[in-house]
Amino acid sequence: MNFDFSEDQYALRDAARDFFAGESSPGYVRSTWESETARSPELWRKLAETGFVGLTVPEEHGGLGLDEVDLVLLLEEAGYAALPEPLLETTAIGVPLLREAGTEAQQKKWLPKVAGGEAVLTVQLVDAPFVVDAHIADLLLLERAGQLHAVPAARFSATLQPSMDGARRLFSVAAETGDDTRMTGGAPEAARAYDRGAAGAAALLNGVSQRLLDLSVAYVKDRQQFGRPVGSFQAVKHKLAETLLVTETAKAAAWYAAYAIATDAPDRSAAASIAKSYASDAQNKANAESLQVHGGIGFTWEHDLHLWLKRGKALEQAYGSATAHRARLAERLFA
Amino acid sequence: MDLDLSAEQEAFRDEVRAWLAANVPVEPLPPSSTAEGFAAHREWERRLSEAGYAAISWPKVYGGRDADLLTAAIFAEEYARASGPARVNLLALGLAGPTIMAFGTDEQKRRWLPGILSADAIWCQGFSEPDAGSDLAALRTSAVREGESGDFYLVNGQKIWTSVGRFADWMFALVRTDREAPKHKGITFLMIDMRSPGIEVRPIVQINGDAGFAEVFLTDVRAPVANVVGAEHDGWRVAMTTLGFERGAGLGAHVRFSADVAELVGLVKAIGLEDDPLIRDQVARLYTETEVFKHNVYRTLTAMAKGRAIGPEASLNKLYWSEMEARIYETGMGALGPYGELTHKADAAVASDHWTHQYWYSRASLIYAGTSEIQKNIISERVLGLPKEGRFS
Repeated sequence: MNFDFSEDQYALRDAARDFFAGESSPGYVRSTWESETARSPELWRKLAETGFVGLTVPEEHGGLGLDEVDLVLLLEEAGYAALPEPLLETTAIGVPLLREAGTEAQQKKWLPKVAGGEAVLTVQLVDAPFVVDAHIADLLLLERAGQLHAVPAARFSATLQPSMDGARRLFSVAAETGDDTRMTGGAPEAARAYDRGAAGAAALLNGVSQRLLDLSVAYVKDRQQFGRPVGSFQAVKHKLAETLLVTETAKAAAWYAAYAIATDAPDRSAAASIAKSYASDAQNKANAESLQVHGGIGFTWEHDLHLWLKRGKALEQAYGSATAHRARLAERLFA
Repeated sequence: MDLDLSAEQEAFRDEVRAWLAANVPVEPLPPSSTAEGFAAHREWERRLSEAGYAAISWPKVYGGRDADLLTAAIFAEEYARASGPARVNLLALGLAGPTIMAFGTDEQKRRWLPGILSADAIWCQGFSEPDAGSDLAALRTSAVREGESGDFYLVNGQKIWTSVGRFADWMFALVRTDREAPKHKGITFLMIDMRSPGIEVRPIVQINGDAGFAEVFLTDVRAPVANVVGAEHDGWRVAMTTLGFERGAGLGAHVRFSADVAELVGLVKAIGLEDDPLIRDQVARLYTETEVFKHNVYRTLTAMAKGRAIGPEASLNKLYWSEMEARIYETGMGALGPYGELTHKADAAVASDHWTHQYWYSRASLIYAGTSEIQKNIISERVLGLPKEGRFS
C-alpha cells in the first residue's frame, strides 16, 4: 500500500514546474489572448523535446511509454502555469485513444508524429458541442453514431466560437468521415477516453485552484487595511483555509482517478467522475474566494488573476460539469 | 503508487476478519452510559486483550504487537466493518499509555501499563474545563503541594466533557502547579485515582439523550507527587505530545462513513425519493466526499509510514471529516422529511433512531477536538502562513 509518487515522478513534476515557469509565464499566457491562433509552434516543439507531449506514446513509436500516474502531476503543473497548449487533448486523451482504438496504420502514422512534436491531436467525445484547438489540430478524434473516427485536418472545417478564456480557443467542427477515417472502436472506447478527459481536466483544474490560492495568500499578506495585513482577519483567513482544504482533497481524488485508469480498476469511471466533480467544485470555491479576497484589483483586466479565473471557470464546465458527473454517479448508486 | 495490500497484510486482515466474525456479539451491547452496559464493554475489552487485539500498535515489550500504522489501519477498518462495540478504553490505549511509555518512570510503566492493556483500569481524560476549551492552557484546576515533605498535592477544580468519566478508574489530568508562571509553563501532567475522596462525578446528558460525558468536581483530592508524569510544571509539553498520539485515531472512520452513505441510498429508496434529482445529487456528492476521504486517509498513512511528520495538516483532516459527517446526517434528515421528527418508538417510524441520533451527534463533531473555527485558524496560520489576528489580552 503506497499512495504516493515515486522519486522519478516527483522529478518530472519539478522539471515541468521549472519549464512552465519560464515558457508559460503570465506574460506569455496574456499574449496568447491577443495572438491570431493563441498557439506557439515553437513552444509545442519544446514541449515535445522535453518528452512531455510524447509522455504517453509507446517507446516503439518514439515516446516515453508512461501512464496516467506519471502524467497527473505534469497536468497539475500545466494548470498551475495556465499553459495554453493542448497537452490534455493530445497527450492525456488523444494518444491513449489512438493506442486503444486506432488501426495499426493510424498508430504507425500518427504516434511518432505526436512524440516528435509534428502533430497536435484534439478530440470530440460524448456529445461535447465544441472542440478545443481545432484550428491548429492535425488530427481530430471523434465519435459519430457509435463509431470512432480519426479525421485529418484536410477533412474537417472549424468555426471559432469566441469564449471566456482567450487562451483556450473553442470551435464548432464539420467533419467528413468515411470508411478511410474509421477507427477500430466505438462507444466503449469513447467512454474510456471521456474518463481520461474528466480525470485529466480535474488535474489541470487542481493546478489552477492551487495557483489562485497562492496568488490570494500572497496578496492578503501584503495588502494592508486598518493598519494590518488583511490576511490577519479571520473572515479572510477562513475563506483561504477552506479553499486549501478542498484543493488538497481534490488532488487526492485526481491522483486516485489516474491510478484507477492506469491500472484499469473496476471503479475507473466512478473515480473519474469523483475527481472531476470534486475538482470542479473546488475550483468554483477557489475562483470565487480568490476574487473576493483580492477586492477591486482582482476585477480588473490588467491584473493577472483573471487569466486563472477564466481558465478555471472554463475547465469547470469541460468534460462534464460537477452536476453532470454526480448524475452519472447517481446512476450507479441508485441502480 | 500501489494500493494493493502485501501478502502479509492480507493474511493479517483475514485473521482479524475471522476473529471478529466469531467474536463480535450478535446483539449490540447495552449502551456504555449505563453501569450494566459499561461492565459489558469492559468485558469486551478484556476479550480483545486476551486475543492480543487491544493494543496492536503498542511495542511488544509492553504487550502489543509492534504493528505499524498500515497494520493498525487494517485492524481499524475490519473492526468498523464488523460493527465492533464502542471501545471504552481508547483514551488509555491511545493517549495515556503512549504518554506513560514516552515520559513515565520504569515504576510508573510497571504500575499502570498492564492495567490499561487488560482493561482492569479504564482511564478518562481531564483536560477541558468550563473556562478552558479551545484555549486549553487557560485551565485553572490547581494542585498545591502538601504534607511535611511535600509528597502529595491537594487538587481543587473542575473538569468537563469527560468521556467515560462516570465509570473510569483513573484520570490523566492537566493541573496548574505554578500560578505565577506564564500560562503554558505552570501546568503539570498528573494521574489521579478516580476512587479518591473528594471526587464527585456528575453525568452530562447530551441533546441526543446520551450521557456519555461527565463533569468531574475535585475538592481537596490527594494525589501523590509520584503520580506526576514528566517533570513538574512541564505538563504542557507532555500534553502536546500526548495529543500528537491522537493523530492515528479514527483510522477506520471512513468505513463507517461509507456504510452510512450506502444506508442513505437504501433510506432514499424506502421513502420513494430515488428519482428526485436534488436528492440524487446530494447523495452522489456525499458518496464523492466519502470516497475522497478514503483516498486521503491512504495518502496520509503513506506519508506517515514514510516518516513524514503530520503536523498542522491534521487540522485539514479533522475539518474535512467532521463537516462531511454533518452533511451526511443533514441529508438523511432532509430525505426523511416529516419522518425525521419521529423517534424509534413511533409506530410510523421508517428508520431506526440512527439518523436522528447521529444527526445531533454530528453537530458535536464540529466542536470537539478543536472546533472548525480553531482548525481554520491553525490551517491559515500554520499551513498558509497568514499572520495572527490582533488578540485581546
